[in-house]
Amino acid sequence: MPVAWLPVLLGLFLTGAADAARLDIELGRIEHAAFTAENVRVTLNLVQATGTLSIARFSALGRVWADLRLHCSEFAVAAASIECGRGTLTLPGSRETLDVQFAYDPDAGTARAQVRSAAGELVRAGLASSGEFRAVLSDVAIGRFAEVMPQLAEWQAQGRLNAQIDYRPDPSARITASGRLHGGGFSSADGLQAAEGLGIEFDVRGMFREGGWDWGGRLAWGEGEAYLHPIYLAAGPVLEAEGRLQGDRLTLGNAKLALEGVDAIEARGDFELDPLRVRRAAISVGGADLGRIGPDFIAPVLAPARAATLRFAGTVGGAAAFVEDRLVGLDLSFDDAAVAMDDVDVGFGPLNGRLPWRADSPTDIDIAVGGGHWQQLTLGAFALAARVEGLSIEVPRLAVPVLDGRLILGDLALRRIAAGWTGRGNATIEPVSMALLAEAVGLPPMSGVLSASLPGLRVDPGELALDGTLVVSVFDGYLRATNLRWLEPFGVASHLFVDVEARSLDLTQLTDAFAFGSITGRLDADVRGLELARWRPVRFAAELRSSPGRYPRRISQRAVQNIGALGGPGAAMAIQRGFLGFFETFGYSEIGLSCVLRDGVCAMDGIPGARPGTPGDGFVIVRGGGIPALNVIGYNRRVDWDELLERLQRVIATNVPPVIE
Amino acid sequence: MNAPKQIRAALGAVLMCFALFAAAQGDLEINTPAIAAIKQSMQARHAQLGPLFASGAIGLSRDGNVAVRDASGVPLAQRAQVNALISSENADRAALYREIARANGRPDWESDVRATFAQRWIDRAPAGWWVQRNGGWSQK
Amino acid sequence: MMARLALGAAIVAIAAGCVTINIYFPAAAAEKAADRIIEEVWQLREREGAAAQPPAEGGAK
Repeated sequence: MPVAWLPVLLGLFLTGAADAARLDIELGRIEHAAFTAENVRVTLNLVQATGTLSIARFSALGRVWADLRLHCSEFAVAAASIECGRGTLTLPGSRETLDVQFAYDPDAGTARAQVRSAAGELVRAGLASSGEFRAVLSDVAIGRFAEVMPQLAEWQAQGRLNAQIDYRPDPSARITASGRLHGGGFSSADGLQAAEGLGIEFDVRGMFREGGWDWGGRLAWGEGEAYLHPIYLAAGPVLEAEGRLQGDRLTLGNAKLALEGVDAIEARGDFELDPLRVRRAAISVGGADLGRIGPDFIAPVLAPARAATLRFAGTVGGAAAFVEDRLVGLDLSFDDAAVAMDDVDVGFGPLNGRLPWRADSPTDIDIAVGGGHWQQLTLGAFALAARVEGLSIEVPRLAVPVLDGRLILGDLALRRIAAGWTGRGNATIEPVSMALLAEAVGLPPMSGVLSASLPGLRVDPGELALDGTLVVSVFDGYLRATNLRWLEPFGVASHLFVDVEARSLDLTQLTDAFAFGSITGRLDADVRGLELARWRPVRFAAELRSSPGRYPRRISQRAVQNIGALGGPGAAMAIQRGFLGFFETFGYSEIGLSCVLRDGVCAMDGIPGARPGTPGDGFVIVRGGGIPALNVIGYNRRVDWDELLERLQRVIATNVPPVIE
Repeated sequence: MNAPKQIRAALGAVLMCFALFAAAQGDLEINTPAIAAIKQSMQARHAQLGPLFASGAIGLSRDGNVAVRDASGVPLAQRAQVNALISSENADRAALYREIARANGRPDWESDVRATFAQRWIDRAPAGWWVQRNGGWSQK
Repeated sequence: MMARLALGAAIVAIAAGCVTINIYFPAAAAEKAADRIIEEVWQLREREGAAAQPPAEGGAK
């Protein structure tokens, strides 16, 4: 900071000129309020009118410089002034030299100086007799200030400064500085806090009063970009602030930040600077457009992994309070806000209401949710009322309308831990009509209702377990789903485990619904360890069989053909082909089929213990009974699951009976 | 008369022991659809992570995760994406460790699985990659 | 009677010891499993094959 040396220069040449051709003057130690110089020596060459000033040790602004040398090629001592022209200042520890000129008039108390570097940096400074001081900096590298602000070097600060600094001592000390930083940048060692290409215009002022500085100013960030982990920022924000600096205590009276997409951001606070510490601070954000600040500020902080799939809309406002470096309060208010996660196809909105949070006392959340969707299911409006305490949330009751029924969550108590959320609760599904549900998720029309009582709802990181029973009364019978566990619900490995037990399903309705031909009778089924990944079965052990009891048992020719077709080209049917042409339906005494799915292969078997009575490794799927009777026998015990599904879909979709030779 | 029977029972218990021990020391179950899905996701992401490992922008942390080491070489505008990429990777890794523990019927093994992986990721990392060992980053 | 009790206790002890062994985390198997997954995720086999890296690369360091 070349300006800092000016007082030294001013102070040194008070001694008179000597009459020798060469004059050495030992000035010893010079002390001043702003600096100390030790071993100061001036060597004058009176013939050549040159002079050299050397200082062994110079300390100012809390820093020490050693071995400063200023050589003046044109040194003049006139009656009223001392001038140094074409001076060269050698900086310690570097080969760099600075061109210096100065003139000093001790009687008038005026001085002017100019320092220029080889890189084109220029500082011009002038001291008026009134004590007013002005410095004009042109393209000064901010790295120059690293001597007095070591942080600049630590942060690899770059940039050049054009500025005008004015100081007026009376009636009370005032400093104003305005200018522009360009080509600015900085970076922490790990690159997590960094900026490049910064162009910042600034205009700051300070007034000394009662042992401190009243300050105010404006910073307009016009160019460049920054990454302040985990947020990326581009130029645009404008900060206006005022406050007071006393010792290392900084008071922020009022700060306003203008940021695109936000109506107003204001902050005030009380800080300690060394080390930086928040004593207390408050920040408020009004009218933030979630569609703009969501992707830039909220997603990277709250859910960086999902940042690409989170969608926001609406408006949010909020306020946060900090005490002793700690967040103590937060108030958020939502105005027609909406949030959606594309990858798992869940969304809620519009949201209206308030979300208060206090570090040391419980608060109540009250948010009206206008609706939502989960996959193809549309969810109705509901109210989210919850009590929040620290990192825990309690929801006494949450009733989400689903079609004509409701999903009700009760006594839900969740707690945030390092790995995610954990907690307990219960869930109930009030009857949803299967007609509407089937339509919503694209299943064939069916009647019946779905309801559930799941008293043991457990949430753990990567796991949602629902102990209890989900019952679907459908096809005149019912399905019972138990041991529901949903693992990694929001990850790529999202998969669901469930045991399903079906009883007394009316096969007439079932086969009609799926256009599978016609089977009269009733079916029981047990599917153990059914694992669904992305709603597709990947593992299970299933067993289908005729329900016990007396009821008509007939199977249509088409259904027989379809079952045959499912067996694939390798499958064979022990059917008397002659009969097939004559009869539309056949009697049967029992149907049984099992499939253990693992690694994409379904290991099939038929009615337990039934022998087909034909050569080979066949198994009986349909055992004939009555007149005319026929057996359906499968031979293919290992069927590729995807192929089986494809065939099933083809059979259902085409509705055309496959050809049996 | 009872003693020989008891000896047989003891021998049986010992044999059963070996059988159980053998089972415990056999292969861990890692062929589940969930693990396959996670592996596939991680493999696809590796196309993006690989160059970041190679450049030293990211490294393998001691806790079985991926962490930023020095993002300076990554353009500013892409550092948030790198962070998102790392977060996704770490979410997948957490799921992988959990799933392996679950697939073997021992959810409580999760932290052991994580510790084993943490060591193996570091051991298997190619030369030039940065890994976190006792305290600090070092380059392989 | 005492002998019988002692023998019974021994059986219980052996069985208990056996259970204890089973509780230990199978570190070797886990390492093997980790290596298989790491190879797949990083596609190490192809690359190591192509680059013909020395086998020491994969060893513990």
